Amino acid sequence: MLAGRPVAPCYTRRRLHVVVPGMPWAAVERATVIEIEGLSKLYARDVFALDDITLHVDRGEFAFLTGASGAGKTTLLRILLRQELPTGGHVKVDGRDLVALAAADVQAYRRALGFVFQDFKLIPRKTVFENVMFALRILGVPDVQQRRRTFQVLKWVGLQHRANAYPVELSGGEQQRVAIARALVNEPVLVLADEPTGNLDPDLALDIMNLFREINGTGTTVLVATHDRELIRHVGRRAITLDHGRLVETA
Amino acid sequence: MIGGLKYFLSEACLSLWRGRRSSVLSILTITIALFVLGLFLLLSANLERTVSEWSRSAEFSVYLRDEATPIERGAVERGLRADASIAGVDVVTKEAALARFRRDFPELVPATLGAPGNPFPASFEVRLGSSAVNASALETLATRLRTMPGVADVRYDRQWLDRLASLIVFIRWAGLSLAAVLVLAAGLTVTNVVRLALYARRDEVEIMELVGAPMSYIRGPFVCEGIIQGGSGAILALVLLRAGLDLARPPLAAVASGLVDGNAIQFLSAGMVALILLGGMLVGCVGGLVAARRLR
Repeated sequence: MLAGRPVAPCYTRRRLHVVVPGMPWAAVERATVIEIEGLSKLYARDVFALDDITLHVDRGEFAFLTGASGAGKTTLLRILLRQELPTGGHVKVDGRDLVALAAADVQAYRRALGFVFQDFKLIPRKTVFENVMFALRILGVPDVQQRRRTFQVLKWVGLQHRANAYPVELSGGEQQRVAIARALVNEPVLVLADEPTGNLDPDLALDIMNLFREINGTGTTVLVATHDRELIRHVGRRAITLDHGRLVETA
Repeated sequence: MIGGLKYFLSEACLSLWRGRRSSVLSILTITIALFVLGLFLLLSANLERTVSEWSRSAEFSVYLRDEATPIERGAVERGLRADASIAGVDVVTKEAALARFRRDFPELVPATLGAPGNPFPASFEVRLGSSAVNASALETLATRLRTMPGVADVRYDRQWLDRLASLIVFIRWAGLSLAAVLVLAAGLTVTNVVRLALYARRDEVEIMELVGAPMSYIRGPFVCEGIIQGGSGAILALVLLRAGLDLARPPLAAVASGLVDGNAIQFLSAGMVALILLGGMLVGCVGGLVAARRLR
């Protein structure tokens, strides 16, 4: 359990993941964190990265986004991070319409999220402690609280003893733990992870997945993109499968 | 607010240190540009002051005929004193003029001894006003005085000073134009140096964007880096100017003794110093902003 982390409201009631074609957008329940309706992303003429995707992820849910390379997992995550805009359809995250989101509000939107990438994306010239604390600093959290909260989160991921190390001095698993700590430190409503275990051996991958499970256990919604079917089977949560940009299964 | 500034400053200093070679190049470019600007400002300010002093002591003398009557003399004197651009009038009698000549040129005294009577005319020596000296108005006055009865000649040697003043204006504009080109070059150098720093840290910038750092937070250190480069260049330029002036004073005093008092050459005024310093920082700031503008 994440020490000192206030427990977010955890919705135990799961809605049915059945989308009725033509269902009005406004009728979707607000217990949903990710609301995607008819989403498409066209990169070139007739080359759809995403084609008419409709899916919902509930508050407090842990879901996998899976599919072969090129299926559209990363494109979907990039749209959810508002790095890209869809060509068509609607996307809402925690009630925010990402298509209508003004450029000036994008950074504020991202501050409410946590993200974890395959290549960790840590700032090499900052220590572990500074990398994690940075996410709080930009929120304007007072210094003392920044330090206390950073220490708590590092302790939770088991890296408090490496607080003064630089990313280059850490193993891949440790670096990913730092990235997870950074994703959590601002208590996000949603954590997005793109192939977070892609650079790790199977044992470390399971460790990282257990961390995500614990995060989810506090009520935080988690969406993990991975092509590792074995890992999904092991964790045993909903898998949203994409194939050539189309949603083929959600089970 | 203060925390943010501290962060910008520390990040900017770190980045400058990391790219110290290009930072030094950038600072030196700004130094050269502002040194040239400062040099021209220094030259034109000192020349202007000198010319203004020379103008005040410019000779304006009205020579009288020996046969001029007291009434004619009185009319000339009244005409002079009535003019607003004239600060004062000294009467120099024939005897006083001869005495002054003998005092100033003792080696020529024997030549005057053989001359019949006193060859020097009486005159009015005019002191011109300090500020509102209008060259054309004085020229008109001189022309009018020449036609007055009892006046033998009017000497007015201000024309060359006016030409000198025009030359100073030209020097100032030439200096400002050259400095403007150099300042532009300096601005472009800062832009490119900051852009290089930005390129070197593009991964970091991407991470900051993903974490949701405000754009001001991402751009701030780069703009701060530009301001530090500009400010450092300006300070260096001012130090070099001051040192150069101190070194140049003795030889200048030796070369131009009699014309210019080497010790009277003044450094830039406090306003000018502030202008150069702020100008340097502004150039750096604009350079940093232009470079960081590329971030979405």
